[in-house]
Amino acid sequence: MLFSSRPSRASATLASAAAAALLLAGCASGGTTGSTGGGSAAPDAGDPVSGGTLVYASGDAEPDCLDPHVRGNYPQALLAGQFLETLFTKDADGEIVPWLAEGADVSDDGLEVVLTLREGIEFTDGTPLDAAAVWANIDHLKDPDTGSSTGYLAVGKIAEGTVEDARTLRLRLSAPDAALLESFSQPWVAIQSPAGIGRGQEENCAAPIGTGPFQVASWTRQDRVELIRNEDYTPPAEGAGHEGPAYLDGISWRFIPEAATRQSALQSGTVHVIDNPQPDAIAAAEASGALGHLDAPRPGASNRIELNTSKAPFDDPAVREAFVKSVDVDAGVESLFFGTARRSYSPLSSVEPMGHGDPAPFGVDTARAAELLDAAGWDERDAEGYRSKDGQRLSLEFPVSTNQSVPAEQSLFQQLQAAAKEAGFEVKLNLLDLSSWYGALFANDYDLVSAPYTKVGPDVLRILFHSDSTIPAPSGYFANLSQVKDAELDRLLTEAGEEADPTARAALYDQAQAFILAGHYILPLYDQQNHFLHSTSLQGVGATTAVASPVFHDVWIAE
Amino acid sequence: MSGPGSVPRGAGLPTGPRRSARLGAAAAGPPGLVAGGAGRLPALIAGAVAAVVVAAALAPGWLAPFDPLAIDPSAAFQAPSPAHWLGTDESGRDLLSRVIHGARDSLLIGAAATGVGLALALLLGVPAGLGAGGGRAGRWLDFGIGRVLEVLFALPGLLLALVFIALAGPGVATSVVAVGLGTAPGYARLIRTQVAVLRSSPMIEAAVVLGRPRGTILWRHLLPNALAPVLVLATLGLGQAVVWASALSFLGLGAPPPAPEWGSMLSAGRTYLGIAWWMTVFPGLAVVAVAASSTVLGRALSRRAAGL
Amino acid sequence: MTSKRTTPVRGRPGAGPGSRRRVVSAALRWLALKLAGAAFVLWAVATLIFVGIRLIPGDPAEAILGGPGSQASAEALAAARAEHGLDLPLTAQYAMQLERLAQGDLGQSYSLRVPVAELLAEQLPGTLLLAALAWALAWLLALGLALWSTLGGRGAALVASGLEIAAAAVPHFWLASLLVLLFSNALAWLPPVSTNTPAGLVLPVTTLALPLAGFLGQVMRESMLTAISSPFALSARARGEREAGVLLRHGLRHAALPGIGLSGWALGSLVSGAVVVETIFARPGLGRTLLGAVTLRDVPLVTGVALASAAAYVVVMAAADLAERIADPRLRAA
Repeated sequence: MLFSSRPSRASATLASAAAAALLLAGCASGGTTGSTGGGSAAPDAGDPVSGGTLVYASGDAEPDCLDPHVRGNYPQALLAGQFLETLFTKDADGEIVPWLAEGADVSDDGLEVVLTLREGIEFTDGTPLDAAAVWANIDHLKDPDTGSSTGYLAVGKIAEGTVEDARTLRLRLSAPDAALLESFSQPWVAIQSPAGIGRGQEENCAAPIGTGPFQVASWTRQDRVELIRNEDYTPPAEGAGHEGPAYLDGISWRFIPEAATRQSALQSGTVHVIDNPQPDAIAAAEASGALGHLDAPRPGASNRIELNTSKAPFDDPAVREAFVKSVDVDAGVESLFFGTARRSYSPLSSVEPMGHGDPAPFGVDTARAAELLDAAGWDERDAEGYRSKDGQRLSLEFPVSTNQSVPAEQSLFQQLQAAAKEAGFEVKLNLLDLSSWYGALFANDYDLVSAPYTKVGPDVLRILFHSDSTIPAPSGYFANLSQVKDAELDRLLTEAGEEADPTARAALYDQAQAFILAGHYILPLYDQQNHFLHSTSLQGVGATTAVASPVFHDVWIAE
Repeated sequence: MSGPGSVPRGAGLPTGPRRSARLGAAAAGPPGLVAGGAGRLPALIAGAVAAVVVAAALAPGWLAPFDPLAIDPSAAFQAPSPAHWLGTDESGRDLLSRVIHGARDSLLIGAAATGVGLALALLLGVPAGLGAGGGRAGRWLDFGIGRVLEVLFALPGLLLALVFIALAGPGVATSVVAVGLGTAPGYARLIRTQVAVLRSSPMIEAAVVLGRPRGTILWRHLLPNALAPVLVLATLGLGQAVVWASALSFLGLGAPPPAPEWGSMLSAGRTYLGIAWWMTVFPGLAVVAVAASSTVLGRALSRRAAGL
Repeated sequence: MTSKRTTPVRGRPGAGPGSRRRVVSAALRWLALKLAGAAFVLWAVATLIFVGIRLIPGDPAEAILGGPGSQASAEALAAARAEHGLDLPLTAQYAMQLERLAQGDLGQSYSLRVPVAELLAEQLPGTLLLAALAWALAWLLALGLALWSTLGGRGAALVASGLEIAAAAVPHFWLASLLVLLFSNALAWLPPVSTNTPAGLVLPVTTLALPLAGFLGQVMRESMLTAISSPFALSARARGEREAGVLLRHGLRHAALPGIGLSGWALGSLVSGAVVVETIFARPGLGRTLLGAVTLRDVPLVTGVALASAAAYVVVMAAADLAERIADPRLRAA
């Protein structure tokens, strides 16, 4: 029972190479149910035992606030998934299913949503989870003082809310939102105790109060967050591996930014789980079976290089096509990722059911690239062998954020740089700290850029490719980094976002993605890599939140 | 008994008549003059290493078997072999070629940083040294500069460099200035002492008595004599500047990849420590070889200067 | 050397001999001088950074919040301007800054969103422990090597000299990698992540200590050699003192002197090393905090760490001064 078809909230692909190979690019569903793949659980591990503290080593940046409402990034989601829960979540088939909520009724015009909550759920401070509490959370997200960016966007179409009774919340929307339940499944919109929020941001950031299987005990900055078991926890809905509180006494969540140190720590038994492992370590773990591996690609966008169409030379579609045709991504992905990352041909992650991939625009064809560039007027070569036009070198600025790009990816970019040079492009690769990287984007000082974006559901396309997203937010950030502004694409994305019928919605997103791929606005690379290596003494690893961050409720330590 | 000067005293000591700021004052660390002892062999070895490194820096193309930037994904992570003596890196680039080409960037950054440090040191040290033996105003000048140096010493090692980078942002130029700033106070104190001693030496007194113009005295007599030991110190300091600059690159605050700079090569190597030890070991050995040989050479030079 | 100003002595009339009073007043004077020097250094470092922020082109509010592109919102910028009085004339800003520092208010770290002073208090003990152990180990190694090479003759001297030069030339980050490779990955003897347990401290302390020992060893051995061939060492031998006694009594003392003199420099090496070591061994501390702050250009936090280590420097220098007076009989008279 435990290891055959254990239901899970959103089981990620427990990757073995074989399981991975079965999934076809661009059309994967949300993972396989309770797969027992690659070394997760030894079959004779016995019955689950309670006790022990799991030591988790995170390579992601240490959050500056543990409340994922504030700003809202992936490192926050990783942690918050242990102590906060969401109204909805994703099941093993990638379907959005109720979790803290019991259900949602959407009116025919799509402008009204009635949320019904489950009964008898309490936050760890004893506050009951009721409609007023949920509305307080939405209110918190919409409050500019909270400084939410991810959650704020997710609840953007909610105009007002009415508490009908303790279990019923009526939401009025400014426009139909087909992505609302997807949005509610994200940890950045997780529900916290209103009493906790009421303590003020400084206190709430240090220890948000939720309903999850664990709660925050302490946080030592630059070092660790200590989580302890929520003794009163029981999963609100079907789908968890077991009823009742977590097996673990607690989790010691350590921040170890150095990948090599993290790996050594796992191998030496100092820690049980690491995130962001090096690809070579994943491959070695797969081969030897000495470590368990959880492969949980993030939903939302794929990792891709965006081509800035707002200025020369990429305002010319022919030059974009020439660039895409001159660089060989596959060889680099193969050698640098050791077979742990599969090439993507879609703007969406392979876990998005509505993803659409097409390898055709991305075949390497250097002869064709040369033709295109000659025809576009870049037909001279300067002393260093780069193409030029009217004495202007064919030069591309490529700012890379070292905080957002793993070393293997940075090496891949170097390889693309070398390949582009053959074709006559000068790619100026600038490794920048996050602040300078944002600075380069704000100044429109880039031709190529790679920026991850995680969101549940295909609505991420609207955020990344709608012309509205070229307008900077008050923070200065804009998500449409290819700066495509096309009325037809805008229409497709807006309609898809408001379309209630799944089939019609999928068709609209199909068209939109085909448009994006054919226009060479992006060069898709692979899914947002989200791997976890763990000691084989850990059993029951696999359940994740809707954004593919692991939840350790079912996990236990076998000795 | 050891008079002032024979015991090299430390870097951060407040200036004062009791304090000698001989060689040990520099950021290069205390050189410790070995009297006789070691013989000539170490200096010869160090000289040979230095010659190879300088040759690599001047004409890397002659020595390197491959293009340091040539990528070949199919040849990635190859262990040292007859084809690639030091193995290959994550993009299949030949490590030996990269280490050889890296000599130029690493040495240039180290030398530039030392140059910046010396220039700043001259700016502070010469006026202070001239002032030290001069009139009331001169002594105030010396006192003022002494306090400035004291403050700079209070941000020792990489600290001043890191503060500077925090303000000015990372990059090659910044790290050159940053390392230069970090080494300047040590050089400045040494120059001050040298100038002060020379100023009251019979040779200068004689020149003054003979009525030579002040500028001539400064340029012809003072500076050349003050600079000789400083150049010795620069030799010692160069190695340490290379180490520091590579540390900044390693921390991601210096030279960016794919430039074959030793520090950034080491940073990449650390990523693959588990599967490609050669990516960490060889560039690191290059840094150690440069730093060690510059120490040995600097010490040999200073022995010669001291007439031993 | 006694100061006239200290003559109105607090003691009862006739209490204590004058010489003791003189000693106390000399000590007080020494302390006052050190305190004044410390205040000066801290003031100057704060001033240096104040000027630095305003010298870089661009908006100082933006610089405080992490440089261009820090995504600082208009409100955050306005708040930073108000907090630092950036709309006021420069002199008023400067006065405001000094007043806040004098009250111990180091401001708020924009990247970690906590008061800098709180963060420093949290991170300092770990770094102190690491640095103190490394310092002690470096001294032990350097003195041990000096003793051994003095006793072992020419061959030993050559080996010791080679070891010292090599150790001094090794970058911390490289040494750390090699130690982890050998002792954590290959042999699995020691954990690669540092904790405050003996096993968890071995690798980071060794990494910090070896290069420092290389530097210290070079000067200590030199000084020891000079001392044991000095006239008073000869006369000690002539008095029939045994060689070991001469070495321990005179050699060690003279070897220690330049080591003490290099304390300020050693502190710099340890602080710089801590940046690397704490990062590689995932050890919480000031060095790792500093690197994070520099990477994110968190100026208030960088300022805080700089002031903290400048303060440490001042303390170390005062202690070194004292230690030197105790170790060096020539200075005791002064």
